[in-house]
Amino acid sequence: MMKIFKGILLTIAFMMVATVCLADDKIKVALVIPSTIDDLAWSQAMYEGLKAAQQELGADKLTFEVSERLWNAVDAGAAIRQYAMHGFNIIIAHGAQYQSLLTEIAPDFPKISFAYGTGFATPEKNIFAYDPHAQEGAYLLGILAGLTTKSNIIGIVGPVEAGDAIKYNKGFEQGVKSVNKDAQVRIAYTGSFGDLVAAAEIARTQIKAGADVLTGTSQQSVGAINIVAEQKGLYWLASDMDQKSIAPNTVLAAQAYTFKNVIMEIIDSRAKGVYGGKHLELSLANGGLQLVFNDKIIGNIPAGAEEAVLEAKAKIIDGSLKIDIK
Amino acid sequence: MLGEIIIGIISAAVPLSITFVLVGLGEMFNQRAGVYNLGAEGIMMVGAFIGFYVEYTMQSGPGSSTLGMLAAIGVGAFMGGIMALVCVTFKAEQGIAGIALYMLGWGVAGMLFRVYIGGTTTIVGLQAVNVPLLADIPVLGPIFFSQNAMVYVTLFLVPLAWYMLNKTVWGLKAKAVGTAPMAADTMGVKVDRTRIQCVVLAGAMAGLAGAYLSICQTHMYADNITAGRGFIAVALVYFGKWKPSGVLFGALLFSLAHSFQRSIQVYGIDFPYEVAVVFPYLLVIVVLAFSGRSNIMAPAALGKPYYRELRD
Repeated sequence: MMKIFKGILLTIAFMMVATVCLADDKIKVALVIPSTIDDLAWSQAMYEGLKAAQQELGADKLTFEVSERLWNAVDAGAAIRQYAMHGFNIIIAHGAQYQSLLTEIAPDFPKISFAYGTGFATPEKNIFAYDPHAQEGAYLLGILAGLTTKSNIIGIVGPVEAGDAIKYNKGFEQGVKSVNKDAQVRIAYTGSFGDLVAAAEIARTQIKAGADVLTGTSQQSVGAINIVAEQKGLYWLASDMDQKSIAPNTVLAAQAYTFKNVIMEIIDSRAKGVYGGKHLELSLANGGLQLVFNDKIIGNIPAGAEEAVLEAKAKIIDGSLKIDIK
Repeated sequence: MLGEIIIGIISAAVPLSITFVLVGLGEMFNQRAGVYNLGAEGIMMVGAFIGFYVEYTMQSGPGSSTLGMLAAIGVGAFMGGIMALVCVTFKAEQGIAGIALYMLGWGVAGMLFRVYIGGTTTIVGLQAVNVPLLADIPVLGPIFFSQNAMVYVTLFLVPLAWYMLNKTVWGLKAKAVGTAPMAADTMGVKVDRTRIQCVVLAGAMAGLAGAYLSICQTHMYADNITAGRGFIAVALVYFGKWKPSGVLFGALLFSLAHSFQRSIQVYGIDFPYEVAVVFPYLLVIVVLAFSGRSNIMAPAALGKPYYRELRD
């Protein structure tokens, strides 16, 4: 009887050790996002990045879980702690608003890597901050807008004047002014990231006020794109993701974030024993930002506009053109 | 130029206000009957999805917008029925049940969207049309005669709601069960039945209001499309002192303030945007603060379940 009991105990112990060993092999990533994985903007861009990383490493090496709609910091904090206690190796809180939450939680879990963005501060050794240079792509889109507009009125449908939106708007305005001194860039904010009805209303107001090229950031922008698409001869310049699937005849070009590189860099750092403390940049130079033209309609814009954009892009990449956002 | 801007502000405010009027009128009925429903927001989300989905599956064919809105009314009434079952039949605490219904609606709408649509998709929806001849009238034309059909339907519902509430037996019963349910019961009015009817009606209106957002305003559906409008409408019922005209006035004022602040930003008037964005809410608070003791107008039995067995 005693032998059987010992045998069972040994088997259980062996299984536990085996499970731990196997679990060590696999990288478990948790993603906390403010909206949903299909918002066609900020959150989906990161989700796609994770999927791309998983495809590269293999599903047996990287698994991930996602918690959506956690714009509320209290709920997000509870989810992050739960993930931390359930053996996840990397926890990504996808928004600038999560920085203080991570600063509070990260010291309790020193072997777990936390990441957030847009941001540059890494207040703990196990926090990564990722930082898309939204101003770079925005500058290029600004050039496109400045050369395409006929009314010389360009509208921005903004979410909240913070983080990414500030960098994007400043870069965009500079891009417009670099090629068209007469053009006005009019910015209006909804005061929210996810209110697509308000974004639609701002787009309507912008169009009534004469805007013929519009742009905007965050997940609410899909509401605005649809309204722009209902008018003939107007264009939208997209950010975060290539949004031309919503309006193939309206979305002229896009700045798309490639978050896969950020995830791979975090994984590589961990393999070298570095759990955080790095400021990870996404730029045109390192491939974190991509400029995507809509081939279907890019031929409609004035001659030379596309070339001007590509020229500026090359200058940004080689460092001869810097976009100041201060 | 200034005249054009002002007309633009007003003509943009009218369609904006419709969502609030639809939810607000329905909520007014159920509050008059003694039940407040904080779940209107959740019902709106499901209504927004169902309305969108029906039109989407019919590929925006003829009549699909109307059918979408009818389907939203149906699903809204069903969700109102759930609220009525929980709060009127089972006497649950109305505030908590309302919040639960809101979360249920948000979850169900989001899940259905992911399962049956799976990504951002657009529909044609109900577009604004210029009424021949009338749309050319200066000032009034762009404000009243260049809107989508639902604007006219909703504006017609306001006097209809007043008539139902004040000139029909059913309306008097609804007011009675929300003011003095025991007395109404003594006079042979079926308290629970009347309350259930009001809550179901309000659910139907909230469903329609949701479909208005997806079919008439954005021509698409996305997660959390309502963004708190259902809760604002509940507040506007208090603001409107439980009267259809008050709800309409509140909704118009709130929407005008929103339209105004957006125009301030778009036309580049130097004004902090943070203040502009909260301006409509500040305005409502200020008007509420100066509008006297609105609480004395509240239905006396609002929020109180009626226990027939406890009659003296």
